[in-house]
Amino acid sequence: MASVAELKEKHAAATASVNSLRERLRQKRERLLDTDGEASPPPPSARELKRVARYSKTQGRAAVSFNSTDLVCCRTLQGHSGKVGADELTLISLPQFWRSILRTGDRQVISMGRLPFQVLSWLVVYSLDWTPEKNWIVSASQDGRLIVWNALTSQKTHAIKLHCPWVMTCAFAPNGQSVACGGLDSACSIFNLNSQPDRDGNMPVSRILTGHKGYVSSCQYVPDQETRLITSSGDQTCALWDVTTGQRISIFGGEFPSGHTADVLSVSINSSNSNMFVSGSCDATVRLWDIRIASRAVRTYHGHEGDINSVKFFPDGQRFGTGSDDGTCRLFDMRTGHQLQVYSREQDRNDTELSTVTSIAFSISGRLLFAGYSNGDCYVWDTLLAEVVLNLGNLQNSHDGRISCLGLSSDGSALCTGSWDKNLKIWAFSGHRKIV
Amino acid sequence: GFPPPCLSRNPSFLGRVILLAAAAATLSSPAMAAAAGDGAGDFSFAAEYDGPPLPYSLPRAIPLDLSHIPLASLSSPPASPSASSSPLPVVRPLTPSSLCSTVHSHAHPVPRSAAPAPAGGAAVVDSPTSVIENHHAAAHHSAELPSSPSDVEGPDEAGRPALPPKPHQPVVTFAETSGSLLQTSDDEDEFEEEEDDDDDDAAARAARPRAAGQTSGSFSPAHIESGSRRGAKSRGCYKCGKGGGFWSRGDKESCLACGARYCSGCVLRAMGSMPEGRKCLECIGRPVAESRRDVLGQGSRVLRRLLSAAELELVMKSERECPANQLRADDVYVNGLSLLSEELVILQGCPCPPPRLRPGFYWYDKVSGFWGKEGHKPHCIISPNLNIKGFLHQKASNGNTGILINGREITKSELQMLKLAGVQCAGKPHFWVNADGTYQEEGQKTVKGKIWDKPIVKLLSPVLSLPTPNKAANQCGEEAVHMVNRAVPDYLEQRTVHKLLIVGSGASTILKQVKYLFMDKPFTVDEREDLKLIIQSNIYNYLGILLEGRERFEEEASNDRRKISQCDPSSSGRDESGFCDGTTQYSLIPRLKAFSEWILKAMALGNLEDIFPAASREYAPLVEELWKDPAIQATYKRRNELPFLPPAANYFLEKAVDISRPEYELSDMDILYADGITSSDGLASTEFSFPQMPFDAQGVDEYDPQDALIRHQLIRINNRGLHENCKWLQMFDDVRLVIFCVAASDYDEYYEDANGTIVNKMIESRQLFESIVLHPTFEQMDFLLVFTKFDLLDQKIDKSPLTSCDWFDDFTPLLSRNLMNGSSRSTRSSHSGATLSQMAVHYMGVKFKRLFRSLTERKLYVSHVNALDEASVLSVIRYGREIVKWEEEKPVFGASETTYSEEPSSYLADV
Repeated sequence: MASVAELKEKHAAATASVNSLRERLRQKRERLLDTDGEASPPPPSARELKRVARYSKTQGRAAVSFNSTDLVCCRTLQGHSGKVGADELTLISLPQFWRSILRTGDRQVISMGRLPFQVLSWLVVYSLDWTPEKNWIVSASQDGRLIVWNALTSQKTHAIKLHCPWVMTCAFAPNGQSVACGGLDSACSIFNLNSQPDRDGNMPVSRILTGHKGYVSSCQYVPDQETRLITSSGDQTCALWDVTTGQRISIFGGEFPSGHTADVLSVSINSSNSNMFVSGSCDATVRLWDIRIASRAVRTYHGHEGDINSVKFFPDGQRFGTGSDDGTCRLFDMRTGHQLQVYSREQDRNDTELSTVTSIAFSISGRLLFAGYSNGDCYVWDTLLAEVVLNLGNLQNSHDGRISCLGLSSDGSALCTGSWDKNLKIWAFSGHRKIV
Repeated sequence: GFPPPCLSRNPSFLGRVILLAAAAATLSSPAMAAAAGDGAGDFSFAAEYDGPPLPYSLPRAIPLDLSHIPLASLSSPPASPSASSSPLPVVRPLTPSSLCSTVHSHAHPVPRSAAPAPAGGAAVVDSPTSVIENHHAAAHHSAELPSSPSDVEGPDEAGRPALPPKPHQPVVTFAETSGSLLQTSDDEDEFEEEEDDDDDDAAARAARPRAAGQTSGSFSPAHIESGSRRGAKSRGCYKCGKGGGFWSRGDKESCLACGARYCSGCVLRAMGSMPEGRKCLECIGRPVAESRRDVLGQGSRVLRRLLSAAELELVMKSERECPANQLRADDVYVNGLSLLSEELVILQGCPCPPPRLRPGFYWYDKVSGFWGKEGHKPHCIISPNLNIKGFLHQKASNGNTGILINGREITKSELQMLKLAGVQCAGKPHFWVNADGTYQEEGQKTVKGKIWDKPIVKLLSPVLSLPTPNKAANQCGEEAVHMVNRAVPDYLEQRTVHKLLIVGSGASTILKQVKYLFMDKPFTVDEREDLKLIIQSNIYNYLGILLEGRERFEEEASNDRRKISQCDPSSSGRDESGFCDGTTQYSLIPRLKAFSEWILKAMALGNLEDIFPAASREYAPLVEELWKDPAIQATYKRRNELPFLPPAANYFLEKAVDISRPEYELSDMDILYADGITSSDGLASTEFSFPQMPFDAQGVDEYDPQDALIRHQLIRINNRGLHENCKWLQMFDDVRLVIFCVAASDYDEYYEDANGTIVNKMIESRQLFESIVLHPTFEQMDFLLVFTKFDLLDQKIDKSPLTSCDWFDDFTPLLSRNLMNGSSRSTRSSHSGATLSQMAVHYMGVKFKRLFRSLTERKLYVSHVNALDEASVLSVIRYGREIVKWEEEKPVFGASETTYSEEPSSYLADV
């Protein structure tokens, strides 16, 4: 019995030393971040980031400016009878000319300190002739339905009734043939969109992935592999699945000491290297994982002061953004672990309640960051200067309720927001109009 | 410097304008025609000005593409009293606002207001589209203006020339009476600009050809208000204005609610994603026009062309099934009473429903199934004996023959029919006619015959437009029963589900019990298989705990032995050889020892569950051997000393041999005892409704017909994932009641949390309770606290006092002498009426109630249950239902009914 007490003591001592080491590491990191080499005073990030903004201004980078009509709501998808919880937007195969216009933005590389920061200037284009291609959105709502929308006609193409209506996430397979969803039933269900509905008009589940011990909070297909899916769960783990066999290939976190210590709420897979993914958790950290090494997290990113609700990889795959309960969005460098930028809104109104960031998305160039807030605002941030470009919540036709999810089409031409007002809205750029 | 006059460039447009003006002139009375005639010659003035330069600016006319402008159609000349009273034609000053109102009142006969809108002319802010419509409408509305309800100024203003509202703007007029047909260029631009801004669809904006003459103009916010776009009846598309007048079939789609028509190019923009079928965005939520009810759910050619088959099907499905499109029960009156929604369901769901049911007044003869409009002869024969309120009146079909059928005076044509059928009608007899056509005279027993027997009756009925019985009506029997029992429509179901959230320890047992209570097949094959796996892997868990205990006991025993042998070395020599090896009664044979070590290792690694269900076939004999081993049995006897062995383990360990066999079949009791419901142990829910229970044990519950329609959904969530800042609890904001379960036996149990501190389970429950009660989602929610495992409390309260939990340290039960002297404290005393365990539960309930009040200032409902007992679960669920009902009715009863408000909280004392 005495040995137990001894062990406990040792454990406490070890924990304390780990914490002090962690603190030292943090300080060291902050010092390194200060490129000028001056002694680093405590809150370095704000200063640092202001400098980034200043620097980029001196380099002739003007802030992106939008006026209220540059981004317009062009479609409202109505049909859910419950709060829209999660959505995934995939715009597949747009006409070639359309794509070419989008890609011709001028590339500029700005060097900020030691961090190369590639900026693809956002090209605002709005086309009026949307050909009826397969531009589909899948959305999940608490009415227990998964709806696949045609973004162009704003019609529903599939309405899938779920046996567990408490769904938290949904995702489109890269080939657009199947959708996955997960929720409080602790399982991830896969539906093949080509399968025939049964007698009652319900779509049969083609595969159920069970094994999580908590709710499934987020799921995403590995971009170049149709059969691989990554889920995050309330049991503090993430898992990689083989969709065809229904087997869990590996578990990230859990017993391993480097795993998350609270519910994992979000995952994002690196678009340029699909072996890497990040997960955001209620323990206010983001962890980077290598699919091939399940035993430990590659890196842990600290900085937030609240649950991390959303993580998204930056389009170049070297950075990722986070949205948190502390009301801020942050941009982290994947390799160095540095926090590059903080996007925190000033508490303009006398809000007693801090509105939290529910979901984020990057524009295709990465210059813009879209962030949905729990109070119904949806900010467009200039990622470089950390300035608010536009608030979609103030525009005409904006949502009435909390923005619960948002997603950008794969070609970047449209933004889809889902809200607790039961609607989805598609926003697109209308750059050509000028109002005096 | 001159604006380019360009009316003449578009002669066809001009021609149509003139036509309109001419039409206005002909419609108006002679005096006005003369006035218009004077102007008729001036029509040609709209030519290009090519005279010398003028010192003042000329009014500028902008050509209008009439096909782009929705035009009001000519309304029929009204026969209004004001028109007849004033012989002279009355011309009212035309202001856009007054025009708006005029047009409004004509264009909206249905459905928003049947009566002409009380037009506060100026108050109506119309959409930009109708602004321009009105200028045109002026041309031909002038004739009927006197009858306009908004015409407050009346005859006083007669003959005064119409003036536009803005005095400084030059105006082009065609005729004095026609008002401002064409506004100045400024106005024109304004319109264009407004229309653009009003249009939220940028795609539509650029796709639409812009009208000529647009410059960037001023921007008047007053008109931005997008009101009803359908200010006037238009022949063209309401959105783009194209296709004026002549629609080929399959080119248009119209809104089910307001009737606005759209061309195929605009229909998707105007109707959006059609959550309620073909309705324009503004009409979503409004009821459909009754005339269009027939086409509900029937796809049109336009949509078929625009949408894929799957999309169209979904639109049509939502059109048929969305609540807003359903017939409203309040609008249907049968036998003088408006229907309840359930009655409407019955009526529409019967085997022979009345065809094309519309809002209106009907009579229904329950006995024979005759159905007709009030004041008219029977229209059809529907299923008889439907449970619909109200009684048939004698004058229901307004007959005057004096002959009654089932109490209804029949009409002449019916009498003719009866005569044809050979029914003796002399002396104005009163008949009873049954559904099968047999008839008898009132007050007489003998059946006189069947009306439908004669073929001539069936032949001639259509001629007299009288109904004949439908074949299906006679095929009642099984089909009819089947139809009545069919599922409630989707839209009704949605509305009537009451969700009850259940959380806490013992919640899953309650849920399983509810499944047994209310469902025919409580568990599917898959679920049973799942549960079997849970039980089987738990057996290994329990065995592991036993084995751990065995190791401890063995060590203790051998220590004891060593001590004994040390103290008394002489005795050791007398012992058998076995003792010398250090074996005790807790020792295992080597083979089992290896197995047990393996189990313990797997348990320590935490992957016991992963290994064993799959390997159970292989290890079943070993388990049997292990369980029967005297060492394990000896350990099992001392199970009270193993704190981590859950109470349910006893139940399963007794059956361990059976369970570990692959052919093991679950019994219902096994399921109830099993830990959890699914292997992931996430959320589980079940839906049930209270059936009509004639043998109601409680008796006080009289049957409420609405109860059968209300469905309850019991949702059980695992408390493992619950913590203070739990986001997913937001999903349960539509729950009606939270049932929080606390194991009553928890007060003396402890567990070790992640930090290694020992926490009393009751205190832990309290913390969970606090965090859930204070969760923002449940701010206004009602809570029912249920003490589960009441049976365990009953067993242990004597041995272990309630005060062992610090929260309950002031529990000083007042025990009657009778109870104290009694041999068993848990037997019910005839005097006090409460056992110690009941008092303990009551005490704990009060503790929680005080806590709840201090947190929320509201009342907490408390009950207790033994989840293994069906009746006690049923009573708790009933209690939950009563709370929901009571909370619903509370606003009706008001605060004055204090006696009733006390009732639910005093429930505990009654149990």
